Amino acid sequence: MTDARQPGQSERVKVVYCGGCNPHIDRTAVAAELPADDPDVGPGATVHVSGCPRACASDHLLTSDDPGTVVVAGELVDGVPTPQADLATAVMSKLKE
Amino acid sequence: MALKTPEEFIQSIADLDLEIYLFGEKVDDYVNHPVIRPSLNCIAMTYELARQPEYEDLMLATSHLTGTKVNRFTHIHQSTEDLVKKVKMQRLLGQKTGSCFQRCVGMDAINALWSVTHDTDQAKGTDYHERFKKYVLFLQENDLVADGAMTDPKGDRSKSPSQQADPDMYLHVVEKRDDGIVVRGAKAHQTGSCNSHEIMVMPTIAMRPGDEDYAVSFSTPSNAKGISYIYGRQSCDTRKLEGNELDVGNSRFGGHEALMVFDDVFVPWDRVYMCGEIEFSGSLVERFGGYHRQSYGGCKVGVGDVLIGAASLAAEYNGAAKASHVKDKIIEMTHLNETLFACGVACSAEGHQTTAGNYEIDMLLANVCKQNVTRFPYEIARLAEDLAGGLMVTMPSAQDLAGEKTGPLVEKYLVGVCDTPVIDRMRVLRLIENLTLGTAAVGYRTESMHGAGSPQAQRIMIARQSNLDHKKELARELARVGKPWEKAKVKVPTAVSAG
Repeated sequence: MTDARQPGQSERVKVVYCGGCNPHIDRTAVAAELPADDPDVGPGATVHVSGCPRACASDHLLTSDDPGTVVVAGELVDGVPTPQADLATAVMSKLKE
Repeated sequence: MALKTPEEFIQSIADLDLEIYLFGEKVDDYVNHPVIRPSLNCIAMTYELARQPEYEDLMLATSHLTGTKVNRFTHIHQSTEDLVKKVKMQRLLGQKTGSCFQRCVGMDAINALWSVTHDTDQAKGTDYHERFKKYVLFLQENDLVADGAMTDPKGDRSKSPSQQADPDMYLHVVEKRDDGIVVRGAKAHQTGSCNSHEIMVMPTIAMRPGDEDYAVSFSTPSNAKGISYIYGRQSCDTRKLEGNELDVGNSRFGGHEALMVFDDVFVPWDRVYMCGEIEFSGSLVERFGGYHRQSYGGCKVGVGDVLIGAASLAAEYNGAAKASHVKDKIIEMTHLNETLFACGVACSAEGHQTTAGNYEIDMLLANVCKQNVTRFPYEIARLAEDLAGGLMVTMPSAQDLAGEKTGPLVEKYLVGVCDTPVIDRMRVLRLIENLTLGTAAVGYRTESMHGAGSPQAQRIMIARQSNLDHKKELARELARVGKPWEKAKVKVPTAVSAG
């Protein structure tokens, strides 16, 4: 897993990637769509982004017990089927809950 | 952490001033030679992806020697998870390059030598393992590419190394000195050798008494005095000299092999890891072969992903994507490719710790993996050619597409689905040609057959590891072999009258 917060990407959200051996989604596109500075997102927010349902970025778990952590595993957000185009939106909704 | 950038890597190879021959001439500016450069770009990709956060999990590992992050290609596997990640990294690189990216042989060599030097020391009281540990540290700290050099020319296969008419048919020690050894011979089919900082030499077969001078393993800088490289030809290689990217198929990436000649090369003792211990040469061959057979369950799968994608695009551009037999062929290609991946992952997940502490693959499953690799890429390539159609091998050249008179004709008659530009259709067909018949077919087809050992080598290992006695016992138990037969309980049918 990789802490991959990049300059210009979300300031408030830490992104953890899987290694990307056979991704079903564009992982970096999902991370890039996360708003850079959303005041409704609390500090310490983390998104585990895996390319497929094997969920390597989150130790193969589809959800996290940690508040402020969301798991993307292919077209699943916290285990809920979500089309690729809606992944970032779904992540932000989760982070604001 | 001293991870190199791709640019630093390429410059470091240029700085070596290697003695490389291609088409009968010495090549001075080899890093910029159009035939050689694509193979250098492939290894550069192993440096590039290691610097990208979205690939770090596969490309980097934590060194058990220093606790720092190192490129996985220089890592000693510390768990079955490491073994699985190795295969996934190789698939990733196959996808990104569509070629042999060459750096695996060194990774497989360091992991094999790690345990074999340990075992040798335990049995013989030598200090090879400590020497080798320092060498691995050197590779990691400098983020170097090491070539794992195993295959000798072998001459007359019916004779042992010491029985050959020419003693140089197997690389051997010609002199032992106080400060080191002098070696002579050659290593054939050396993948990536011209793009390597270091060469790790290993014996190619299990040695017998009388072959002690041939049971030798060592490392040396790739530019050591006396080492030269004769670059191997590949099908369609001179297309790279024509100056157009279209007809090459994959203009940015490629693999290479070379005949590497050792003409009385001196090796200091601290770089020697086997010297006469014939009883450990077989273990080294088997372990290196095992790791490398695992590797093919990753790298060939990644290249297979590219070929499946290209065949699917070709079908789309032909307007045939919805035909049921086309869909079925894509499914079959995917099934074969994922079966190879399953084997690579399985032999990794079923790996085990060695007495030296590092992790080794399951040998039976690794050999099964490679045995499948000797077959499935050929079938995937056959199906790709089926889907591509004959145009893949009859298509006019880039010069014809650019020609004043011929260009419009090519544009007119090579149209498939109307909204697909002809140039894109030609690009995809050339990529399929490259992978199945051109320069990349060296890696995807014949290397799948003979690389990491020819098919019979795997069958020998499968026979040794098959645990046949256990299987026979299972059958005996269920069939009740050897148990008393209660003849009296058998009901013999009596004759029945038809009338």
